Order: sequence, then structure tokens, then C-alpha cells
Amino acid sequence: MIGTPGAPVEAPREVTVAHAPRRAGSTPWRLLLRRPTFIAGAVILLFWITCALFGTAIAPHSPFAQQLLATNMRPSAAHWFGTDQLGRDVFSRVLVGSRSILEIAALATVLGTVLGTALGLVMGYLGGVVDLLVSRIVEAVLAVPLIILALLFVTALGSSVLVITLVVGFIFTPLIARTVRSAVLVESQLDYLSSARLLGENSARVMFVEILPNVMPAILVEFTVRLGYAIFTVVALSFLGLGIQPPTPDWGADITANYGVLPAGYWWETIFPALAIMSLIIGVNLVTDSIEQVLAS
Amino acid sequence: MNVDNGRLDHLRAGQGAVENHVIDEFVAGRLSRRDFLRRGAVVGISIPVLGAVLSACGSSTPAPSTTTSSSAPASASGATIKAGIVVPTGQINPLTVADQGGLDMLAQTGEYLCLSDQHLMLQPVLAESWTANTAADVWTFKIRQGVKFHNGAPLTADDVVYTYKLQTDPKKASNALSAFGGALAPSGVKKVDDFTVEFHLEAANGNFPYLTSSDNYNMIIIPNGYDPASWQGSFIGTGPFVMKNYTPKVGATFARNEQYWGTKAVPAATEFTFYDSQTPTILALTGGTIDVVGQFSVSGGEQLLAAGAPYNIIRLKSSAHRELSMRCDQAPFTDPRVRQAVALTLNRPAIVQALFKGFADLGNDSPFAPVFPSTNTSIPQRTQDIAKAKSLLSAAGHPHGFSTQLVTEQLLEIPQYAQIVTQEAKSIGVNIKLKIESSAAYYGKATFGNSDWLDATMSLVDYGHRSVPNVFLTAPLVTTNAKTGTGPWNAAHFNNTQYDGLVKQYVAAVDLTSQRAIAGKIETLLLDQTPIIFAYFYNYLSASAKNVTGVYPTAIGHLFLTKATKS
Repeated sequence: MIGTPGAPVEAPREVTVAHAPRRAGSTPWRLLLRRPTFIAGAVILLFWITCALFGTAIAPHSPFAQQLLATNMRPSAAHWFGTDQLGRDVFSRVLVGSRSILEIAALATVLGTVLGTALGLVMGYLGGVVDLLVSRIVEAVLAVPLIILALLFVTALGSSVLVITLVVGFIFTPLIARTVRSAVLVESQLDYLSSARLLGENSARVMFVEILPNVMPAILVEFTVRLGYAIFTVVALSFLGLGIQPPTPDWGADITANYGVLPAGYWWETIFPALAIMSLIIGVNLVTDSIEQVLAS
Repeated sequence: MNVDNGRLDHLRAGQGAVENHVIDEFVAGRLSRRDFLRRGAVVGISIPVLGAVLSACGSSTPAPSTTTSSSAPASASGATIKAGIVVPTGQINPLTVADQGGLDMLAQTGEYLCLSDQHLMLQPVLAESWTANTAADVWTFKIRQGVKFHNGAPLTADDVVYTYKLQTDPKKASNALSAFGGALAPSGVKKVDDFTVEFHLEAANGNFPYLTSSDNYNMIIIPNGYDPASWQGSFIGTGPFVMKNYTPKVGATFARNEQYWGTKAVPAATEFTFYDSQTPTILALTGGTIDVVGQFSVSGGEQLLAAGAPYNIIRLKSSAHRELSMRCDQAPFTDPRVRQAVALTLNRPAIVQALFKGFADLGNDSPFAPVFPSTNTSIPQRTQDIAKAKSLLSAAGHPHGFSTQLVTEQLLEIPQYAQIVTQEAKSIGVNIKLKIESSAAYYGKATFGNSDWLDATMSLVDYGHRSVPNVFLTAPLVTTNAKTGTGPWNAAHFNNTQYDGLVKQYVAAVDLTSQRAIAGKIETLLLDQTPIIFAYFYNYLSASAKNVTGVYPTAIGHLFLTKATKS
């Protein structure tokens, strides 16, 4: 009756729980650090995290300062990435713009991962009617394109950092839950869970103390994958005008504000925020791929 | 001025008191030649008489100057002209259209009693002539004979009366009520005979013919009894084109009306493609997909304006502007000093340069745009003065500034302008949080209590061009009164009886001298009260391919292609 919680099984008191064998603990980090792709991705990520934390101090100009008589200036020594339609320094806006996107994407991914993990554990461990019902709901939610869902919620609830974080977090929850459920189903077949039940451990303890540590690798991979998608979703919402409100520097919003002047030849106002988005997503993906490969090996 | 008094007296003999007053003003030198032509047309002096008066006063009739940089037309009549315009936002219903794409569609097949042209002069269209009584509260329009609707039915006074009664009925929620509110009620529209209509106004109005012109863009004449809600299916009108196909959100095609009462259209057909933003429209022109761009803004349209670019640019001075209103009934904007302080933070010449590369006129916090002849230019221009702004704010009890929110819409340069306002307000400690919404969300139901536009503490909205300032003076500034329908767009919730009285006087004034004098008082009062910041009036820009000529846009947003040719 593996997978059925609370089954009346009589357990001998002497039995000690045979915890699932942990994979070689110290090697994954070393393996990761040997991978050039991981190093490259981590460097990119660290760069943007540094910008997010200290961008205003690093930036050569205030990202808000307007020079109305020096608009649309080409990249130069004074303005490395040129100026935008309001004469603001594009380089400074790109550096500081990393804050909002990383803040929202990271928080939303953490939220989605926490909720998705909890839901996935419940679905996979409890099984039965609970799994059936929740799985159908998850499938129904996943049938709708995520960006459409996000648009609906943000339009209905209004646009703010909190709302965007919650919306992106919630729409990622079913995706993560499904992955965690699959991992839990695999773990459910293993002996250590039978031992735990024989000891009379309650469902919550089995799920969060026994199973959770053993599905952490899958959750970690899912977290990094979702982080990339969260960045993309947040940028898309900003691009559609539903993200951070101007004049706060934001890559997606800055692309929206300036892509209209692309035909006039003011490429720098759009290209540099776009390259920043691209580099951040590539950085996240390099780290994700490396983690996936190391864990698979 | 060498005046041929004998000839002038002869010409005066056929004119009424109002018309003679305008002639007097010109003879006395208080009106320029252009203002005389414009004002004369408003009060109903015919073009031949205007020309004769000019001649009698030793001046020649000026040929309407073209504002286009286009070369001489190398005609290829019978071509199909392809235009790109902004997508109409809703149903093409003459009663409810309130957007540029929609009004452009109305005017392709529909016609007005008169046209307000690129020089703000009225040209007769379905009305052959018009006159006012001395008090300017009864206007008589002679309807053109021999005009037929596209279904073959003749145009008569009944059609005009039906259209005007419909559009002035408060129960119908017509968009034209913004102009007719307090001016004309359904009971004031009277048929005199089959080709004469009288408008008995609720109050004297010296600019009334403009309310019957293309300026009041809903006022195309539709057949007697025709349901405006079904107009989109037929596009029935009296105009030079007939609708062949209309696909909402996509485009429309029109064919030349071979039964047209006037000079027939040059193009055999026109094709309109709808675009929801400027960038693809400009790319379509530069790529040769379309021949004409209905309107473009400087921001993003620089390549069309570049020296040597292969496009004909039509630049029209206009009264189109943005209104930044501050709720006079909500703290901290209840104190006029606070409103003045915010207005004083703006560096208007820099704003015009940054947003329009100079293709705009400075605003002086009143609706009186430089393009209006009645604008009193003796009132000093408000300029940036941070020290004074801080002092005013301090005197108003806000020495350290305050925080508030500005709500606006995602449209053309408005988000950029809003950011400039927030940045410049910071210099006096005013922290403005921006909320930029889609136009639909911003306008909401466009009624008080149901619209961010009308309800927000600070609100920034777009206003299209009008040939006279009447709508700008009344709808957003006159005290709101639901019963009389006045002040329906008063987002500032401005309530000032002195202002209301001055506007009443201005609207009633027939001659330009009186209008200018009252305008000066209004401008001074609005500078003192500053319920709304008018920072600029931008030029209307339209473009066509170099081989396309004869395109005729109006600053309110019409795009007339009846004389367009393609070589």
C-alpha cells in the first residue's frame, strides 16, 4: 500500500528509519565549477545581481535625470549607450533597470517554487482523489497560455511590483507542482518511505522531512528553469505596458517606450535594454543547463 | 489702405448688420486680411463678396497658400490611393464616434454643412450659405440643392433637421453634445422650407457655423429617419466616395461616387489600412505598401522629416494639445498657488524641442492657442521659475512639497510628457507617482465617478484640434452641471462663476475685437487660477510618397483624398 497515508501498519519499535541514500554530497559543486558554461553563466548572473544591488552607485548618471536639449544622442564617451527620447543616459538605465526585473523574477520564482513544491508533495504523496482533482485543475490552468493568464490577472488587479510578483508566482505554481509530483511518485516506490510509515510518522513529516530532501535536485533544476521564464514573463508584461510604471528604469518598459523611434535610426535606445534581457536569460540558462547536466551525471 | 468707398457701399448694401460689422473692422484695420477672410466666412459673407471687399480696399484676394512641400502634381487620375490611418476604436456610428480613425471614416462618404479648412476658414459644402441675426442667436442655413445620397434620395432640409435633432438630443448621448451642450437643443432646429434650416440657439454664439462644420466631426448629414447605429453597414452619405468594403480593425475601400453633386473625385478608388501604432504605419509608407500616412508624430517620424527624404510633408499649425488638469476640489490643489507652482516648474521651450523638435507652439495655460485669431497675444507667456514656484508652494503651506498621483494614457508622446512633468515637479519637492493606462482604461465610461480621466487628482488627456476655442473653453472648464449638460469634461472640477460669465460673453461675441478683449480676461484669469496646464499646441503632420500629391488632411484628423493623384 505504498503511497497510501496513514495505513494501519504495525511497526516494530526497534526499527530505525533507513533514509534514502544521499548522492555523493561534495562532488556536485566541484563538478559545476569545472564546467565553463556554468562559470560563464554565473559570471553574467553575478554581474546583473551586482548591478541590481548597487546600480545607482555604479551608474555614471542618474537614470532619471533628463536633458531635454540632448535627446536621442548617439553612444559617445559621455554616454556610452547614448541618450533616450528624454535625454536620459541609456547605460545608467540599463544598469539600474536590472533591479526591478531580478527582484520580481526572483521573488516570483521563489513563491512559485514554494507553493508548487508544497502542492506537488501533497499530490504525489496523498494520491487518490486529491491527486486526481488537483491534477485536473493544474491541467486546466496549464491549458491557457501563461502570458494570457498573467495579462488577465494584471489587468484585473492593477499593475504593481507586488501584483506582478504574486501573479507570476501563482501562474508558475502548477508547472512546478507537476514536476515535483512526478519526482514524489518515484520516491514513493522506495523503501525508506515504508520505514517512515512503519515508525508512525505523520504525512506532513513524511512529505517535508523524508521526501523533500530527496526531490530537492529536481526542485533546484525547476527553480532555475522557471527563473528564466519568469524573467521573460516580467519583461513581456513590461513591454505590454503592464509592468513597472515609468520613469522607473525597466528593460521591458524602456523597449516599449523607445522601439517607436527605431525606424528613425535611434537603435541604441532599444538594442541595449534588449541585449541586457538576452544576456540575463542566457546567463540563467547556462547555469540551469550546467546544474541539470551535473545532477544527471 | 486705399478704399473705394462707392464700391464698398454697394457691397455693404447686400449685407446684414453682423456682416457689415466685420467689414467695418477690416476697413478700420483691426482685422488682418486673413482674419477678415476667416471671420467673414464665419458670419456668412460669401467668398465672391469677401474678394470684392478686399479689392475695394485695395487688396487682392489671396490664393489659399499650400502648406505642403509637395512638388507639382504629375497627375495620374483614376489611380487607387492607399492610406494608412489609426484603427477606429469602435463602431462607425455618427452619433458615437469619438476617435480619429472613426471620424476619418465618417468623412470619407459623409459630408458636413461646411468644412473648416487647413487655414481655419469655413468653406460651404452641403450648406450654400448662412447668415445670423444681429444677436447671433438665430442662424439660417441655405441647403444646397441637387445633392443626392448614395441611395439616390435627394438631400433636403428634412435630412438636416433630423440629423441635428438627433445629435443635439441629450437622451441620445451623442458625442457632438460636447459642442452643442448649452448652445443648441433639438427644439431649436427648425425647418423653414425644403432647403432652409434655422438654428435657434440657447445663447448667442458668434462662432456657431464652426459647430456645423467638419470641426464638429460627428455632424455628417444622414438621411431622414436613418438609424445611426446601422451606418457602419452602408456608410451612406452624400460624399465623393461610396463604401465598397469595411472590415473593422483591418481597413476599408471606397470607390468614386459617379453621381456626386460636385467635382468628382480624382482617384478611382481609395484603400485605407488601419494601424494601431505609428511605427508600422511609417514602415508601410517607406516600404511602399501605402501612399499616405494620415498623421504621424515627430517622435518616431524623424526619418520622414529628414532633409531630402522622398516624402511630401504636410504641416498644419493646430490647436491640438494636452491638458494636465489638477483637481481644484481636492487637496493640495484646492489652493491656486499650488497649481501655479506646478505650472511654473515646466520648461516649455525645452519640452517643445524634446518632444516635437520645434513642431509645436508654446501654451500659456489657457486654451487660446496661437493659431486662433481671437487669442490675445498681449498676455505675457508663463515661463519656468523654480524660485517663484517654491515660494508659492511654501506660502500655500507645503514648504517641503507633497506627494500625489498623475494618471494618463499610453498615447503618442503623452507618457514622455508625463515623465517630464514628474521630473520637473521634483525640483520643488512635489513627488508625482505616474500611472499610465491604456486609453480604454483611462477614459473608462467618460463620466464622473467612472473614469480615471475625470476622477484622478492629476490627469493628463489628449485634445484634438478645433478651429475655434469654444469647446476647449466650455467642456473642460465651465462649471459642471448635469442638468444643463455643461462642463462634461471638467477633469479639473474647476468651479468659477467669473470664468463661466466670461466664457458666455466670449461665445456670444460676434466680432474679433470683442473676442480678443474677452480672451485677454480669460487668459489672465486662467493664469491666476491654473486649473489646467496647457504646455504646448503641436503641429499636425501628415505625409505622402513623393509621387502622390493633392492629399488634404485637416488638423482635426480628417484625410481627404478627393484630389489625390499618383504619378
